[in-house]
Amino acid sequence: MSGEFLILFFIVAVVLVGGAIIFSNYAAPTSENAVKHDPYECGIPTKGLTWLQFNVGYYLFAIIFLVFDVEIVFVFPWAVVMKDLGMSAFIEIVIFFFVLVLGLMYAWKKKALVWE
Amino acid sequence: MNLNSFLLMRHEIVLIAVALIILIAEIFTSEQNKGRIRGLAIILFALNTIIGFFPATTGTLFGGMFTTIPLHIVVKNILNIGTLIVLIQSNAWLKTEENSDKFPEFYVLLISTLVGMFYMISAGDFLMFYLGLELATIPLAALVAYDRFRSQSAEGGIKLILSSAFSSGIMLYGISMIYGMYGSIYFDMLSPAMAMNSLTILAFIFFFAGMAFKISLVPFHLWAADVYEGAPVNITSYLSVISKGAAVFILTVILFKVFPTISDLWQKVVWVIAVMTMTIGNLFAIRQQNLKRFIAFSSISQAGFFLLGVIGGNEMGMTAIVYYMLVYIFSNLGVFGVIAIISNKSGKENMDDYNGLYHTNPMLSLTMMLALFSLAGIPPVAGFFGKFFLFTAAAQKGFYILVLIATINTIISLYYYLLIVKAMFINKSENPIPYFKSDFYTKLGLGICIAGLVIVGFASGIWETISKLAFGM
Repeated sequence: MSGEFLILFFIVAVVLVGGAIIFSNYAAPTSENAVKHDPYECGIPTKGLTWLQFNVGYYLFAIIFLVFDVEIVFVFPWAVVMKDLGMSAFIEIVIFFFVLVLGLMYAWKKKALVWE
Repeated sequence: MNLNSFLLMRHEIVLIAVALIILIAEIFTSEQNKGRIRGLAIILFALNTIIGFFPATTGTLFGGMFTTIPLHIVVKNILNIGTLIVLIQSNAWLKTEENSDKFPEFYVLLISTLVGMFYMISAGDFLMFYLGLELATIPLAALVAYDRFRSQSAEGGIKLILSSAFSSGIMLYGISMIYGMYGSIYFDMLSPAMAMNSLTILAFIFFFAGMAFKISLVPFHLWAADVYEGAPVNITSYLSVISKGAAVFILTVILFKVFPTISDLWQKVVWVIAVMTMTIGNLFAIRQQNLKRFIAFSSISQAGFFLLGVIGGNEMGMTAIVYYMLVYIFSNLGVFGVIAIISNKSGKENMDDYNGLYHTNPMLSLTMMLALFSLAGIPPVAGFFGKFFLFTAAAQKGFYILVLIATINTIISLYYYLLIVKAMFINKSENPIPYFKSDFYTKLGLGICIAGLVIVGFASGIWETISKLAFGM
């Protein structure tokens, strides 16, 4: 592949993406009303300011949830073929659980599970 | 795969075990006994360092993703020693009141970053390399923001994480181009297939720019000074020595292994970057008053000297880089050890504050002088030999002009290193930093550094061992 192709690719990429944005902006039908400027909140009209400060506890909960969410990704494939893989895979998954539980206990000890 | 083959990852597994044991100890000890974790961590890490020297097996794991060769083991052991010194030096700082509730996390995070660097060093493909790199970077940002109520520290953390995310993005783009062209990310498969064409050049430039961010080479160095200044001193020392050393090593390995067919190109790039890094790092360092910023720029210019070993692409260069890494660990950690203890005892970090230090704290001043001489490359100490071998490696391949520029830069750097020595020994001061007694761990840390500085230069066995293994890649 030579250098001209590279430049061509770059130009095509810019033209395609930029063109799509400009063209849709230009060609799409526009309708403006008050509801359209609302943040999406399940259809109920918002009350008060939307730029509120959230309790940091939400993030801690989300992170702890994420850990167990990812755990499923690993445990499920293992559970399907557990009998074929045998003992060594079982030991590995036990170690994996052990590390995860350790993390949960750490979060517990640091009072991440207490809502303040 | 049997359990025996996991012994290839012995260095990593032992480190993870150390981190887990510290975490368990943190969970199950009561508040009164918490202070013992500090001693436990140092003892465990010392054990880990000793275990690292046991004879190890070599080979590959996970279908070539993870490789271990004797040179990797040497580099891992060197990094282990450096981290051990950092842990010993930070003991006094972690003892202070403000860190009483969070010091176990310091160990866990620090060891996680080291695990990441080990995986990065042993990587056999770009995926493992990238995973290791991120594992080495993200906890580091948490460590930089360790003094979270000091705004400079938080600023440093956010700057590090943003710039590293940005550079990772650039680097991944380069890697994706390589994968798109050659259909593989394994180093071994890429090197014979690699051909000189424009997309490969583009991929190389993206990859190199991303790595240059991590090593803080000159056009990409702007984050370094703020992060180094904001971070707690002990973290700065870790950042500028251990993580930089690991990144330089892996950059060298990838340039040698993946891009040998376009070495004409990358030698030009490295040539220009090396000159800029050495010169600009030096010129900025001259003007700094804050010692942490000063060391930040000095370590930028040291990274330029590392590139002298990279550029040759030969066995000599590889050996010189690993050897200089070892020397650099001892010299820079010696400087940082002194800065850390003075900053912790008196809160002073400016060069003027060091006026007349010799009259109040002669031992500290002598240690600092020795370490600075080593950084500058003055003969009796190890730094001279490290620089000498780097210059030889570049000269062997005929880069005479580069070596000449590097020599001139060494002389410039001598000027500003000697400014500190002058402040300590000659300048008079009305209120010098008063005399204080250091505790056992501080003395131990600085003692190891001095011993290393003196011994590494003269024990030719170290150079020969590394040199024998350097071609194993």
